[in-house]
Amino acid sequence: MGFVFGVTGGATAVIAAAAAVLAFGVSWMVAVKVVRRSERSRVYDTSLRLGLEQPEDGVGDNIEWLMMAIDRSVREMRAESVEAGAENSRLQEAMDSLPEAVLVFDNGASIVGRNTAAEVFIEARHSDALISAAVTELVADALVGRSSSRTIELFGPPRRTVVITTNPLKSGSGTGAVAIIEDITERRRLEAVRTDFVANISHELKTPVGAISLLAETLLAEDDPAVADRLANRILSEAIRVGHTIQDLLELSQIEIDEPAEFNIVDIGDLAAEAADRIRPAAEQASITINLTGSASALSVRGDRRQLLSAISNLLDNALKYSDKGSAIDVFTTVESSEVLIAIVDRGIGIPARDIERVFERFYRVDQARSRQTGGTGLGLAIVRHVAVNHRGTVDVESRLGEGSRFTLRLPALESIDPDDFGPSVFDPEIFDSNQSSNLEPGRLFS
Amino acid sequence: MPEQRKSFHSELDEIRDEIVQLGALVSEFIPRGTEVLLTNDMQGALALIEADDQLDALTLRIEEQCYNVLALQHPMASDLRSIVTAVWLTGELERSGDLMVNVAKAARRIYGATLDPKLKGLIERMSEEASRLVKLSLDAYVERNASLGAAIDDIDDALDAIHGDYIEAIFESHATHDLGLQAAVQLALVGRYYERIGDHAVNIGQRVQYMVTGWLPEQTGAARAKARASFELPADLDPLAGGGVDGT
Repeated sequence: MGFVFGVTGGATAVIAAAAAVLAFGVSWMVAVKVVRRSERSRVYDTSLRLGLEQPEDGVGDNIEWLMMAIDRSVREMRAESVEAGAENSRLQEAMDSLPEAVLVFDNGASIVGRNTAAEVFIEARHSDALISAAVTELVADALVGRSSSRTIELFGPPRRTVVITTNPLKSGSGTGAVAIIEDITERRRLEAVRTDFVANISHELKTPVGAISLLAETLLAEDDPAVADRLANRILSEAIRVGHTIQDLLELSQIEIDEPAEFNIVDIGDLAAEAADRIRPAAEQASITINLTGSASALSVRGDRRQLLSAISNLLDNALKYSDKGSAIDVFTTVESSEVLIAIVDRGIGIPARDIERVFERFYRVDQARSRQTGGTGLGLAIVRHVAVNHRGTVDVESRLGEGSRFTLRLPALESIDPDDFGPSVFDPEIFDSNQSSNLEPGRLFS
Repeated sequence: MPEQRKSFHSELDEIRDEIVQLGALVSEFIPRGTEVLLTNDMQGALALIEADDQLDALTLRIEEQCYNVLALQHPMASDLRSIVTAVWLTGELERSGDLMVNVAKAARRIYGATLDPKLKGLIERMSEEASRLVKLSLDAYVERNASLGAAIDDIDDALDAIHGDYIEAIFESHATHDLGLQAAVQLALVGRYYERIGDHAVNIGQRVQYMVTGWLPEQTGAARAKARASFELPADLDPLAGGGVDGT
């Protein structure tokens, strides 16, 4: 019994062991299945959450698949952010190409964005610091919702007029403000040129015409031959005056429309000598000497001989008009870095700093009171500038009140000129020293 | 503690920015006042005299801010020198602004007098030079550039030279042209105002030197006086022979 029991007991133990093994095996398989299922469901959930394509059942290792999918989506996101960055930098580039300065502020009035033109206003100094201060003031207004604008005149130098405009920003991510700083100096100047031109041309033309008709009226009623003679002379001089103005106006408009096709090779040295000879009689009357200092080499340019002669004559005429009796006018011609240069230097009354930019305007007068006395038409320098522009050259002026002016006309030299063959520089102090008639110290003029 | 130091330094930066603004106002005043004088612009003269109030207000604000920082933060070493320098600079700049107000007032007094071009040219040059000096002194301050600060004294020589020529030109104009005595005296004073602005710029330069290095040019003189006092220089070697120095 005991044996049976023993046998039975042994069989039972075996069965039990087998059952345990079986149970373990089954439970293991179940567990693996459960793990697989929960893994799959997590993969499913995750992919659902990430908005990825669903894995097909039974395709390889799900974790591997998920990792690849995440990799792919990260790559996509990165590409998107690069694209967004590119979009941003495109916007920034567009802002940078604006001539106006743009500053963007957050709600704490700190700068969060700016373009290249605005860089000067960060830690600005001198007159820019005043613009900065005004921006800070206006931005404080903009942050409480008020748009505003202010015009600031700055004496510099250089003289500038700027307009600051500020606007509140009400975008999604909090409030802010934008400030736009615009330099309107040039616009203001052009407006002044336009309005002054209309006023001046009517003055220059109407005054002599009015005088002529009045004088003629008086003449009609006059019997005394001596008075009649005087009146007729006045009429004549006024007629000559208005004639000059019209002639200059015609010349100016002709220069403005001239085609560059008529250009041929002209020697500036010869032209300067010719212009100087023309003006010499008038200069001698005022006991003003004209000194010509030229480079030895030919100073050839391509251009219209008549126009260039008119430009140089006008500059000389101008120098003569504003020179003091007994002083000297110097004319230098030379080549300087592929430009032919002609400089006319006088020791006359000079031009005030505030007028210096405007003297090339038509009919612009520094001193209206003096203009009738000198008898110019007010168009000379405008003609010079147009001739310079027509020849792809420039004309500029340096001047100091009471010391004199230096007008420099620069024209592109002919390419045939040997670049090594540079004449003496106009600004060579030796030329100044050699000019004995000058009553100025050489280094002092325009220093 | 670090938070507090940060706010202290941002306060120092704020003071610096406001000094820059004050300096910019003054360097604007110079060409503006000159134009008023040269164009007989009476309206401009009045506007400039009134604009000085703005300059005074800013000066007071900066000063007060400096006192606050001194009282509340107890700055030391270079920070202390920065604050003390700022207080000095407000004084120098405010005075320079006042001198341009004087120019505007002189323009009113000489109204109607004709200035010959040479005088006008020299006034323009003095004005440009004075404004350049003020700007340079502020550059030295912002950049904490002691050598530029020291150089302003030499750069000022140019203004002094033009001032000399200007005084001569006034004599000449008074003798040969129709420049009245009254206008001549006013114009001489105007020249003096520009020249003084240059001197204030030199002072700013020296104060910047002090801010950066802790040394002032006056200290050389002070050291000399001290040396004289302790060594009892023989009378024939002492430049102040017989005067003032007490041997004991």
